[in-house]
Amino acid sequence: MSWSNSRGRGRSADKERSTALRSSLIVLAAAAALLWGPAAVEGQMMTEQFIPIGQSPGLSSTHTDIGEIETVDPAARRITLGGRSIAVTARTRIWLDRSALRQANVTGGFADLRQGRRAEVKYEDAARRVSAEWIKVAPEPGG
Amino acid sequence: MVPNVRRRPGSRVLAAAPLLVLALLLLALAACESRPPLGPEAALIAEGREIFFNETFEGNGRTCGTCHRAEDNFGLSPAFIATLPPDDALFVAETNPDLAENFENPRLMRAFALILENQDGFDDLANNFNMRGVPHTLALGTSVDSAAGPRTGWSGDGAPGDGSLRAFATGAVIQHFPLTTNRIPGVDFRLPSDAELDALEAFQLSLGRQEELALPLALEGVVAARGQEIFLDNTLGKCNACHANAGANGDPNIFGPGAGNLNFDTGVEALPDQPADLTGEPVPPDDGFGTPGDGTFNTPVLVEAADTGPFFHNNSVETIEGAVAFYNGDAFNSSPAGALLVGATGSGINLDGTQVVAVAAFLRVLNALENIRAATALLEQSKDERHGLGRETLELAVAETEDAIQVLAGGGLHPQAAIHLEEARRLTRKAARSFFQRGRLTRQAIEEQEKARDELVE
Repeated sequence: MSWSNSRGRGRSADKERSTALRSSLIVLAAAAALLWGPAAVEGQMMTEQFIPIGQSPGLSSTHTDIGEIETVDPAARRITLGGRSIAVTARTRIWLDRSALRQANVTGGFADLRQGRRAEVKYEDAARRVSAEWIKVAPEPGG
Repeated sequence: MVPNVRRRPGSRVLAAAPLLVLALLLLALAACESRPPLGPEAALIAEGREIFFNETFEGNGRTCGTCHRAEDNFGLSPAFIATLPPDDALFVAETNPDLAENFENPRLMRAFALILENQDGFDDLANNFNMRGVPHTLALGTSVDSAAGPRTGWSGDGAPGDGSLRAFATGAVIQHFPLTTNRIPGVDFRLPSDAELDALEAFQLSLGRQEELALPLALEGVVAARGQEIFLDNTLGKCNACHANAGANGDPNIFGPGAGNLNFDTGVEALPDQPADLTGEPVPPDDGFGTPGDGTFNTPVLVEAADTGPFFHNNSVETIEGAVAFYNGDAFNSSPAGALLVGATGSGINLDGTQVVAVAAFLRVLNALENIRAATALLEQSKDERHGLGRETLELAVAETEDAIQVLAGGGLHPQAAIHLEEARRLTRKAARSFFQRGRLTRQAIEEQEKARDELVE
């Protein structure tokens, strides 16, 4: 910014104080990092519920998998989609995407994950693609 | 005395005809004035501006600009709300029966500029909601990035999709634009297209300050200068640790390079006697980042703070002095962030009244300097614009100038600068109305802005 030149006076004193405190403040930073950050950035998941399969900005198709559910294993709480076995954990949010029926999208459950239904999966770890952070599933096969 | 000369009918019209023709010619020339074509980025920003202020996404009539008012620093305050007509789209919960329940709280909106958010889910609309202020959208280019990814909205998790500023508009349409609370895409609204999201992002990033400051500044006023020292002093104000250079990012000397915007639980939710609570209206606790939340909120920029109150995510503090004083209180010093500060530095924040006012004076002067920068940029911009658009730009320059006047007056600061700013405002208003003298008046207004700035900083 070009409001003015930075003031020179007081800088050295500030620097000394800053140096003296730096180590203790690093403790603060480390503690902050442990407690709060960097928490994995997540989308505001609640409005995500209303975005139809394949339309999530910046995510769909690049960071998610979209396709038909091939198998469902309720005992292991796993589904297969695109040949990939995906864990559905207690943290996984499941939404019924009924937008094609012009109905409101609602919260679903594992029972809504059925073979042949179209679904979109976002992973907790986009690189490893092991467990789902959220799954959107259409209510009817091909729907 | 006017001579009593009889004129033939229509002679006055004939006498004025050459002048009329000349004026019409000039108007036609102005209308046909060739403008250089916009570059790709400028065109995208212009498109985003159009969408921001005019696109309703086939919803309830709101646009982005309904809550992020250009005339109110792209935020929303109770004082501004009081000026709006009853049929403004902001009040859609009062005019659309389908949105009468569980969409907004009109009382809290009008009194405290609080907007209802279903941050933790839409399954229990009657009970599961938060009441939050409208954060301004200035200087977003300096405040969204963090080492952990983009931070948007009050708690850093305001956007669906990839959580980016680009995706933010999609979530905003779903939360704030629907015709009914069923929120069915294609029925209650349409989602923004990729092209619209690109344009909206470009426009938002173009707003306000584009660079971080480099503190300390050579301030002229002794109180603001002392406030700056306290702000930067890691043993006293400790402000700069989380608001480096009065911005929204952690001090890289402490948090490491590229830490960017950070989330903290500073205890704002624990403040006693919060204005919204005093009404008796239901105001559930806000758990901040994530679902369920971890109690943290992201760090806002401070340069633009003084004229964008009320402060904090719940608009719980009205004045910049009160916002600084918050860090002296039990709510902060007992919070997780306050406890960490005590653990790391041996003490919390404990400023006396004069010191609180000095830090606030510093923030007021920073804000006024930013107002002057923005007004000057708008004045310069208006020189290249056609009459109508130029007038609009000049009116925004007037608004920036008025903000500077009020921000300084609110702290009893720099009365001499205020005189120059008042003259700049007068000249800018005159320029907005003038066709032939706009250039001269605009130049004079810029000179007054420069004089005002010179009163504040070396």
